[in-house]
Amino acid sequence: MRQVLLLLGCLMVGNFSAQADAYRYSLEPLEIAPGVWVFEGAREDFARANGGNIVNTAFLITEEGVVVFDTGPSRRYGEQMRKAIEAVTALPITHVFLSHHHPDHVFGNQAFDADILHALEGTIRLLAEQGNDFADNLYRALGDWMRGTEVVLPTQAVTPGRVTIGGREIELIAMSGHSGADLVLLDHTTGVLLAADMVFYQRAPTTPHTPGIDVWREELRTLEALDFRYLVPGHGPVVVGTAPFEQMHDYLAWLDDTLRSAAGAGMTASEVMALPIPERFDEIAVARHELMRSVVHLYGRYELEALELISEGG
Amino acid sequence: MPRLLPESCRCVWLLALAWLTVTPVAAEVPEDPFRSPMWDYNLARYLGEGADIRHSDTVVLKAPPFAEDATQVPLTVDLSAFPHAVQEVIAWVDLNPVPHLFTLRPEAADIRTVALNFRIQQASTVRAAVRDDQDAWHIGSVHVEAAGGGCTAPSATASNPDWANSFGQVRGALFSPADGMAGSRLKAQVMHPMDSGMVANIPRFNIESVELRHTASQQRLASMSLSESASENPLFVFDLEHDDAPAGITLLLRDNGGNLTESRLGG
Repeated sequence: MRQVLLLLGCLMVGNFSAQADAYRYSLEPLEIAPGVWVFEGAREDFARANGGNIVNTAFLITEEGVVVFDTGPSRRYGEQMRKAIEAVTALPITHVFLSHHHPDHVFGNQAFDADILHALEGTIRLLAEQGNDFADNLYRALGDWMRGTEVVLPTQAVTPGRVTIGGREIELIAMSGHSGADLVLLDHTTGVLLAADMVFYQRAPTTPHTPGIDVWREELRTLEALDFRYLVPGHGPVVVGTAPFEQMHDYLAWLDDTLRSAAGAGMTASEVMALPIPERFDEIAVARHELMRSVVHLYGRYELEALELISEGG
Repeated sequence: MPRLLPESCRCVWLLALAWLTVTPVAAEVPEDPFRSPMWDYNLARYLGEGADIRHSDTVVLKAPPFAEDATQVPLTVDLSAFPHAVQEVIAWVDLNPVPHLFTLRPEAADIRTVALNFRIQQASTVRAAVRDDQDAWHIGSVHVEAAGGGCTAPSATASNPDWANSFGQVRGALFSPADGMAGSRLKAQVMHPMDSGMVANIPRFNIESVELRHTASQQRLASMSLSESASENPLFVFDLEHDDAPAGITLLLRDNGGNLTESRLGG
């Protein structure tokens, strides 16, 4: 009898750890420059298979502590990220900078002290407005990966400009092209540019809250002119150099031209969603999916430009 | 050959033949490949009991497989391959609280494309049923995934304090129709909250009828009725094939508050 119970116990333990493994992101940071570490996510859309780990997050080790950049898509991610950071350094986490209000970048906030969460004012406002809707959607898309995840608003509003944190020369840059409020971090000490979702690479850009493709492209030109060596996009591989900027300009210009000429021809939204995507974008993941989304986000503006006011109303 | 069959057997054949010719083909409702729980109910509700119904891949519904915005899901019904004359098109969203989206009746014009955004309350199959000149219904379907809530979300327009200033504004233009068809493509958008009546303390307030007329002759080209599944600030697209040169088309919109908007395109 004892042996049976023991066996049963083993089985239960075995089963329990298998379940725990099922919600492990297996986060492994990669040191891309001295003291600058990146967690690279899958080039996919939110899915149960990836638990929402579709995003790049990062941390920088300073003389006094750790600066975290974005917290990932869930409480579990934030907690596991924190453990992975603690395995690299015993220094305390002194700052968490949040690039923008989209859920894959800020839903790990619970793992960190709310008093050290920094974001642009616009980001704090947008997260307060839209955070709960994002959470509803992600619980639906990711299921148990999201267990216990709640929206935590940043408490510290970022003032853009240069700061020295623990000996590191850091520049905080405020932009808006991707989400309406986008924080970019340039580490002058190593030449690492944490571009977040201002830059996607080998993965189609998402457009739900862009103020306009023209605004985004204009800001990309500013970013591109910065003095950096390593580029960490919000989604896609880390690179040395400016290749992601070329791809972003190429893709966004194509999207802009396509939507404008389709509107000029009077196409319906569903027709635009099915338009061919040029072969040169074959290497860009989830391009069709994002084209369908972008048509919903943006095509209406182009359509209205192609119509004339024929009744005053009021 | 019949000679070889015994007499009794021949009788059975004749009876079977007689049964086949007498029984209306319409009796059988085909199975729904999407297995929607509302299939039979909505068919009976919108097409009538005992209607002659079949699936058709010439009734093409173009909609994204997922609803990015549950209050604005694009739908294009493409009938360019439909081999019969189009008498009527009825579209509905199976699992919406009020499934009906629109009923379109072409009159002096033939219509081969119609597009209109809809709201979606939960993941659902979307249908378009097209009646031909033999009164048979041809059904096209598409499934749309959704987080939902589109019908019970408050109007984004009305939450803007200036909505009344733009209320009733119509923007439109004429284009070339798809696939080199003769005639014109009409696209028009009207600023209207299209309140579904499903949001607390906001009664239903929506455009119920749309008419297209030939401006010079006032001949009616087509008429359309709309229901609660239609999105706010609706944008209509019609490919109109008609004999008269498109000297100008008048668009008439009437809501349940009695507001009538008349606007002219072309001509």
